[in-house]
Amino acid sequence: MNKDAQMRAAINQKLIETGKRECFKELLRPKLTECVWKDQLKVHCKEVIKEKGLEHITVDDLVAEITPKGRALVPDSVKKELLQRIRTFLTRARWLSL
Amino acid sequence: MKMEEMSLSGLDNSKLEAIAQEIYADLVEDSCLGFCFEVHRAVKCGYFFLDDTDPDSMKDFEIVDQPGLDIFGQVFNQWKSKECVCPNCSRSIAASRFAPHLEKCLGMGRNSSRIANRRIANSNNMNKSESDQEDNDDINDNDWSYGSEKKAKKRKSDKLWYLPFQNPNSPRRSKSLKHKNGFSVCTSAPNTLPLLFSSSGELSNSDPFKYSNSTGISYETLGPEELRSLLTTQCGVISEHTKKMCTRSLRCPQHTDEQRRTVRIYFLGSSAVLPEVESSLDNDSFDMTDSQALISRLQWDGSSDLSPSDSGSSKTSENQGWGLGTNNSESRKTKKKKSHLSLVGTASGLGSNKKKKPKPPAPPTPSIYDDIN
Repeated sequence: MNKDAQMRAAINQKLIETGKRECFKELLRPKLTECVWKDQLKVHCKEVIKEKGLEHITVDDLVAEITPKGRALVPDSVKKELLQRIRTFLTRARWLSL
Repeated sequence: MKMEEMSLSGLDNSKLEAIAQEIYADLVEDSCLGFCFEVHRAVKCGYFFLDDTDPDSMKDFEIVDQPGLDIFGQVFNQWKSKECVCPNCSRSIAASRFAPHLEKCLGMGRNSSRIANRRIANSNNMNKSESDQEDNDDINDNDWSYGSEKKAKKRKSDKLWYLPFQNPNSPRRSKSLKHKNGFSVCTSAPNTLPLLFSSSGELSNSDPFKYSNSTGISYETLGPEELRSLLTTQCGVISEHTKKMCTRSLRCPQHTDEQRRTVRIYFLGSSAVLPEVESSLDNDSFDMTDSQALISRLQWDGSSDLSPSDSGSSKTSENQGWGLGTNNSESRKTKKKKSHLSLVGTASGLGSNKKKKPKPPAPPTPSIYDDIN
């Protein structure tokens, strides 16, 4: 397990160093906006806020409520594409570090 | 070094897949977090619910899709027919003309000062010439009626310049004839022929040297000398529309030589010729008026064996003692004797009345002066 954890850490580091992480993020953001993920989530946010009250809402509340919904709402196409890119990256990394 | 120990080659695909999923999850969570921060900031700054409007006010701003209206529902030409009240002169002005009107009304535009200066200059000129006339009153006793009439007419016609459709100060007007051939000529409003025969004696009183605002010269205000010199240098053909003389060169393409010849004959007697053919000669000992030119022309018509084509080709100068001089600058070349004598007779008779005559009885005057002779 330690090894795995270390490996994951190493991979993440690699991801950041090469700038790939930012790259993936920039890829994801417009895709999510395009597929109205943001709007759906916004509607959900409004409900949460109305529920909790406008004045007393906190970041933690929001995060706790929104994140699971957000994860679920991501469309499959976006998910698949992103996963594909990550796999490609990992494969290349594996080959390069051989 | 650590990297080398933890080579990825030992990983199988399932693990790779697991790692990929983890990375993906991290990325999505980052996005959600970012979104939450945005929302929270919007809530706390108060702009989160701004796009929620009630349906009633939504209807107010619906996009309009009717013909003749723009998407806001406004009519296209609405401001053309609207009228505004000028705060200065309290007149009702059309909206599209309001700005230029205000410029002139308040005296603050570029043209307003020009117009004002011009008016001042004109009123100064008029005052000056008025005083001139009073001084000459004793001298020119006979001139009382025609002179004052002419002055009145002239002044009135000068004022006609300020009619709205004929703005002399607008920069768009062509400024021709300012100093063409050394002098510029005043143009009154387009007059018809009857006013042609103004006496040369009066010219000193009126102001013949104002700038004309058209591209021609009004021959009514010219004396014989000026006419002659004009015709030696310029085309001079009288335009049908404006009754003004053409100020282009002697070879101007708009008019033919025939036309030029006709004009010269008309003004200076039938012996007048085009200046190209002329030889230099002394001319003016005699100050003949335009009416006298017409009279002499009439005389010519009866007895002359001179044709316009003849005069064009002649080169002799036989009118040294003719005494007719001035108007016939081009007629210096005339050759016929018989007609000369008759002309001299009438001319000398006419010559005794150098002062200006009343214009209507131009034809009958020869008979009167024959009697005097």
